[in-house]
Amino acid sequence: MKKLHFSFSTKLTFDDNVYNHSFALRCIPINNSTQSILNYDLEIKPFVSTKLTMDAFGNNVISGYIQEKHRYLDFDINGTAQIDSTIKTNDYLPCYLYQSKYTKPNDELKAFYNDIANQCRLFTPADRAAYFSQKLFDCMTYEKNITNTQTEASDAFKIKKGVCQDYSHIMLSLLRIDKIPCRYIAGLSSCAGETHSWIEFWDGNGWIGLDPANNCFVTDDYLILTQGRDFMDCSIDRGVMFGSYTRQMQLITSTLEQQ
Amino acid sequence: MRELKNENSLADTPAGNANEINELLRRYGVKFGIYKNGVFNEQFFPFDPIPRVISAEHFAVIEKGLIQRVTALNMFLYDIYHEKRIIKDNIIPEDFIYMSSGYLPQCEGIMPPKNIYSHISGIDLVQGKDGKWYILEDNLRIPSGASYPLIARELTRVASPKIFSDNPIADNRNYASLLKDTLDFSNCGGINAILTPGRCNAAYFEHSYLAELTESVLVQNHELFVENNILYHKTYSGEKNKVGTLYRRISDEYLDPLTFIPQSLIGIPNIMEAYRCGNIAIINAIGNGVADDKGIYYFVPKMIKYYLNEEPMLSNAPTYLPFYEKDKKYILDHIDKLVIKDVSESGGYGVTFGKELSKEKLQEFKSVITNEPRRFIAQEIIDFLELPIMDGEKAVMRKADLRAFVLSGESTRVWSSGLTRFSRNPDSFVVNSSQGGGFKDTWVLSQ
Repeated sequence: MKKLHFSFSTKLTFDDNVYNHSFALRCIPINNSTQSILNYDLEIKPFVSTKLTMDAFGNNVISGYIQEKHRYLDFDINGTAQIDSTIKTNDYLPCYLYQSKYTKPNDELKAFYNDIANQCRLFTPADRAAYFSQKLFDCMTYEKNITNTQTEASDAFKIKKGVCQDYSHIMLSLLRIDKIPCRYIAGLSSCAGETHSWIEFWDGNGWIGLDPANNCFVTDDYLILTQGRDFMDCSIDRGVMFGSYTRQMQLITSTLEQQ
Repeated sequence: MRELKNENSLADTPAGNANEINELLRRYGVKFGIYKNGVFNEQFFPFDPIPRVISAEHFAVIEKGLIQRVTALNMFLYDIYHEKRIIKDNIIPEDFIYMSSGYLPQCEGIMPPKNIYSHISGIDLVQGKDGKWYILEDNLRIPSGASYPLIARELTRVASPKIFSDNPIADNRNYASLLKDTLDFSNCGGINAILTPGRCNAAYFEHSYLAELTESVLVQNHELFVENNILYHKTYSGEKNKVGTLYRRISDEYLDPLTFIPQSLIGIPNIMEAYRCGNIAIINAIGNGVADDKGIYYFVPKMIKYYLNEEPMLSNAPTYLPFYEKDKKYILDHIDKLVIKDVSESGGYGVTFGKELSKEKLQEFKSVITNEPRRFIAQEIIDFLELPIMDGEKAVMRKADLRAFVLSGESTRVWSSGLTRFSRNPDSFVVNSSQGGGFKDTWVLSQ
């Protein structure tokens, strides 16, 4: 068990004024049996009235609407969480067993699965997941700026390069072909400066975290922000706004440290 | 003096007014838009003046059967997004639910106002040559078409008023009040609004017509916004009015760019959060696609037994699922007698008649079915009743179906009319308006 202090901030600036700006932020960490959020403080600028709801996947959603013209949106959250990865959560949805938009395997990925599944002599979901993770880790190279948030598992696997999001999507794809329910996680870990992504698989009675980009099981040094079928359900920040010509720049910083 | 000998003699009377009525329809802008090869074309939906006549006795059977069916479908939708009893009790294999593109996990646990999912259901039926009615398809998302028989009736009434005073034809003008009652019943406080994607939509005429009839505000997405989980309509004068019911005529995946397709330009950001909080009735509910999936159709009679403990009053067309080994074998052996439908397609697309395929194509198609069994259903071709339609000066016989409209508010009611669509091609069984068919008014006799 560990007590961690977390902070996460996003500064979004626009070239020109924007208005009628609706947003949905999923930046408040999930409070469950593995991680209890002892306290947090969320600040959003410019000032806007917001509402907190929980979506079908169990994520906290802060929604808001800024009608007036503005040129930035900043949000900042920090707080304390107590994490014990030995206690499993068990909030289950049947959709986690099925391929989703980002995880649909192409023939190449299916062939890779057949290959490694044929060699695999292990039976428990945890053993199989660890085995697949190792095989995936062996053939992929972690490289930034090759893929982006639109990149799906099959595309990343084709080039055998990508970042944590891509590793997660490919891992989910493999596990789902193997009939092991699993989900995408976006969150913070002590080793990453921005946000990190990993996965959880269902071992029959609860969720177990696995970090395919680092080829290791999740420990008490990970904080879950969002969970869902894939990246689509887990975006920390989504928004729609109006404006004539608006480029946007986003600066994200995060920390996660033991108290 | 009223004298009604049989259903057909009545049908002959208004035939002389066809040109006049089609001319009026043109003038009123009663159109149907079609996208083909990426080009949008608006075309007139040709009206045939010979009405389909359904006796009071026949319609009473249809009515009871439809109410039963829609009641079960509503219970099914609640069940799927909550307890999932029907899956746990092994009535429906879970693959059919969770692999359906209409199943939206984002709707898990959401309770729509008054627990109604399908407020407006368009159920397609055909009558076999034996007189028996069969259900062909359930449309529980945004069934369109009610406005066509409504306006055609109005014009026929203008052209031949005597027919309606001399014959016991159920008045169909009550669709307006049925629909308004339905919108009002689920309303969470605020105005009723009809959301249209705009002029270039296939059913734009209908959106504006229904808004007028139900005294709802016809809106496009840029006039709406969600603030503090409440949906507002912004008027031209800058006033903001709370919306209590949104009868949306855009599909689920475009409805909220912050939950579904991010690139949607016709949706309303955060409407999902307002909906989740019970502040807005969305008509029909989000996620209904799981119940009108062609694969789920097979299970509707089982649903009726499961939820209502009743025998289904209306039958499905005999249907086989290649998902089941036994059915697959039957399909592959009898493919020349069957019609195969791709479950992900609609509007008459993705429909293949085994007998129309060449030998090679047939082999190819068989292997597609074997490799992707979940993608198809196969049905016996029902030899359904042909109805007379005017072709120039003379009447010819063509295949026709019936879309019945079932409205669920305080109670579930069937509109005593419906949209009869026919194929203009004598050899075709496909009657969808997007495939170039025409329509007739449907007269339900009141005695």
